[in-house]
Amino acid sequence: MFFVPSFLDWRRQWQRLRARPGPLRDYLAHRLPRTDQDWRAADYLAIDLETTGLDTERDLILSVGYVVMHGNRIDLASARHRVVRIDRRIPEASAVIHQITDDQSAGGLELADVLAELLPVLAGKVMIAHHATIECGFIGNACRRLWRAGLPVRVVDTQVVAHRTFERRQTAFKSSDLRLHSLGERYNLPRYSAHNALSDALAAAELFLAQAAYRETGDWLPLKKFLW
Amino acid sequence: MDVELVEIQEFLASHPPFDKLPPETLERLPKRLSVRYIRRGSVFPPLDADQPYLYILRRGAVELRDAQGDLVGKLAEGDLCDMACRLGGNAVPMKGSTAEDTLVYLLPCTDLTALRAQHAHFAEHFDQSVAHRLRRALDAVTNAPASGAGLMTLRVGTLINRALVTATPETSIREAAQVMAEHNISSLLIMVGEHLAGLITDRDLRKRCLAAGLPSDRPVREIMTERLETVNVDTLGFEALITMTRLNVHHLPVMSGGKVAGILSTTDLTRFQSSNSVYLVGDVHHAKDLDTLIEISSKVGELQVHMVNGGATADQVGQAISAITDAITRRLLEIAEAQLGSPPVPYAWMVGGSQARREQTSYSDQDNALLIADHMKPEDDAYFAALASIVNDGLNACGYVYCPGDVMARNPKWRQTLRIWKKYFNTWIQRPEPMALMLSSVFFDLRPVHDPEGLFEEIHDQVLNLSKDNRIFIAYMAANAVKNRPPLGFFRNFVLIQGGEHDHTFNIKHRGIVPIIDLARVYALSSGITETNTLERLRTAAGINALSKDGAANLSDAVEFVGTLRVRHQAGQLRRGEKADNFLSPDELSPLERGHLKDAFLLINAMQESLAQRYQTGRIN
Repeated sequence: MFFVPSFLDWRRQWQRLRARPGPLRDYLAHRLPRTDQDWRAADYLAIDLETTGLDTERDLILSVGYVVMHGNRIDLASARHRVVRIDRRIPEASAVIHQITDDQSAGGLELADVLAELLPVLAGKVMIAHHATIECGFIGNACRRLWRAGLPVRVVDTQVVAHRTFERRQTAFKSSDLRLHSLGERYNLPRYSAHNALSDALAAAELFLAQAAYRETGDWLPLKKFLW
Repeated sequence: MDVELVEIQEFLASHPPFDKLPPETLERLPKRLSVRYIRRGSVFPPLDADQPYLYILRRGAVELRDAQGDLVGKLAEGDLCDMACRLGGNAVPMKGSTAEDTLVYLLPCTDLTALRAQHAHFAEHFDQSVAHRLRRALDAVTNAPASGAGLMTLRVGTLINRALVTATPETSIREAAQVMAEHNISSLLIMVGEHLAGLITDRDLRKRCLAAGLPSDRPVREIMTERLETVNVDTLGFEALITMTRLNVHHLPVMSGGKVAGILSTTDLTRFQSSNSVYLVGDVHHAKDLDTLIEISSKVGELQVHMVNGGATADQVGQAISAITDAITRRLLEIAEAQLGSPPVPYAWMVGGSQARREQTSYSDQDNALLIADHMKPEDDAYFAALASIVNDGLNACGYVYCPGDVMARNPKWRQTLRIWKKYFNTWIQRPEPMALMLSSVFFDLRPVHDPEGLFEEIHDQVLNLSKDNRIFIAYMAANAVKNRPPLGFFRNFVLIQGGEHDHTFNIKHRGIVPIIDLARVYALSSGITETNTLERLRTAAGINALSKDGAANLSDAVEFVGTLRVRHQAGQLRRGEKADNFLSPDELSPLERGHLKDAFLLINAMQESLAQRYQTGRIN
């Protein structure tokens, strides 16, 4: 079949030319998943970050958690949780949420090493995140700083999928209904009490499985229905 | 790998059989899993699996149905479905479907095989034989007393002092008494060479010598007890205790390979038990009046608690408590006779139901009847009516409440001559009808507790002869025995009943024990077996007619396991000062006990099925 590159694929090619040699350029050498394939045929990487705040320019990544999904099956063997070393004190306001201490952070890895481990896994896969602007923003910025190019990636944002579902069904909802754990309860998903990047990444993966299962009709369901 | 998937690991660790895996294996296990989400109403296991998996339910519910579409089980959080891993084996073809949106963990069957090969305790869970699992569960229950080691596990050999003190039959009573005083012992073995000739005790010296005015230079031969029950060094402490309770004796010679090894006294046993059935029975024999009997019987609950703490099984509790009820009944009869004078004609006091089967727990109700010699005159009935009232009221006052079905000797219908009783049984057996079936559990478990003239034997012989070859009667009994089906199993904190209904509690006696009692009765009647006790019926009927040896062994295990859970449940209530009952909530059970109970239910169900087929009970019901 003739492959028609999407806009994102053009961006990928362009970034590849700009990128310094390294893990990002290797990532960019892989094609992005096709959007017209059945969602069960694609591979995914569900990811969550803990950060010092919400400003993608000034705040820092503290930890990264991710897990790979082959079609409709989450592969727990691929689950990773990495704490990142940062060059400043962790603000108390964020520490209450992610509970990463300065000591733990000091024992963490360099962000470049964490990304060098992540990018080959992400290559060729669709990223799943809940409120993905955070993940895309922080990782994209880190890539630009480290390797001089952005990170084109196909994204399923489970929050956006939920938002669309509410609107399609014309259900009234509050913004708190769009939180990862509230949505999980709606779909009878387990509630993970530990709040860390990996358990949230896993929760997002499970949420996507549930959302997709609810869209299933047994027929072919293209990936693009879920992309943002 | 620090915090990774710690919650999944904890989830696994809290559910059998994963709780049997060592921590280092458990730590690596989440990484072997994958996760799927299956919507309500979907086929389970999913058809699009890339390889066979063991499914572990994390959230949701799955219903399993057999080829006919009947619900056979329901899975919930923490339950496993290993159907796909058993293909090719003796897997039961079952169809599953999700009853709720379900999140499952998938472990490849190849990983399961490896884990089973490496971890024996883990592998036991997947043992395909329900019977094996149940056997092990029973061993676990009986080997791990609720608190501390007790008479359950100790052999008589370890309880006795092996220094033998003996005398010959020709020793004078005085000399014998001197030997006993010197050694500070309460009994003396009388030996002829290596042969045990008899036994004398403090009581014999008092009653047969001093009180009887027998000169103390007479030989002990004249006061010794010659016909002796003995126990073996291998006998469990508990069995010895029950023998003593039954015989109302305080000493038993202990044998080892045909030779006397020592003597066991109640004192040796009471070191292990503060409220002792032997002493309760002894107290009953000495009780002067009803008030004393009431006081003694109030300790029966305490006895059950102590026995359960000591690790007693349901059979042991049942034997001990029934022995006490027998003793109380006999004592009440003595009291009544003392009050009313000697009976005008001989009679037998018969007991039915759990007392007859020696399966009482504390607070059972009373079932009894009077069998009177045929030559009684009409006016004699006044005597027996008065006797029955004294005993029935006395038992009621002692906590053996009046039978709700009025099956008691005070009811004229159940106070009859031998001739009438024979007619009753003849009708019940030759023309079976619902009434006979209703009464069957009471009157087909029948035993005399007081029968000086041996009147009962004739009835018993008649029942066995008539029922043994009467296929129609046995078919009716079988139809009755298969009516009361055990639950399917458990679903979350509910009991799953046939047809898919749920309940918060279940009557463990009616649902789990009575079905086995009913089965055992059919096996016994169809094979002409005289026993009334369920375990003895099963043991004796094994290999004859309807019951295979394996079937008998499995049902014995099942009734002991379920019964032991029941006596423990009751002991727990008694300990908390509550009234003992049979209503068990799944919350009280550990996940393991639930699994074993479910196995027991499966087994009962299978035995009921095979009995139903054998007697074509479908045509009767």
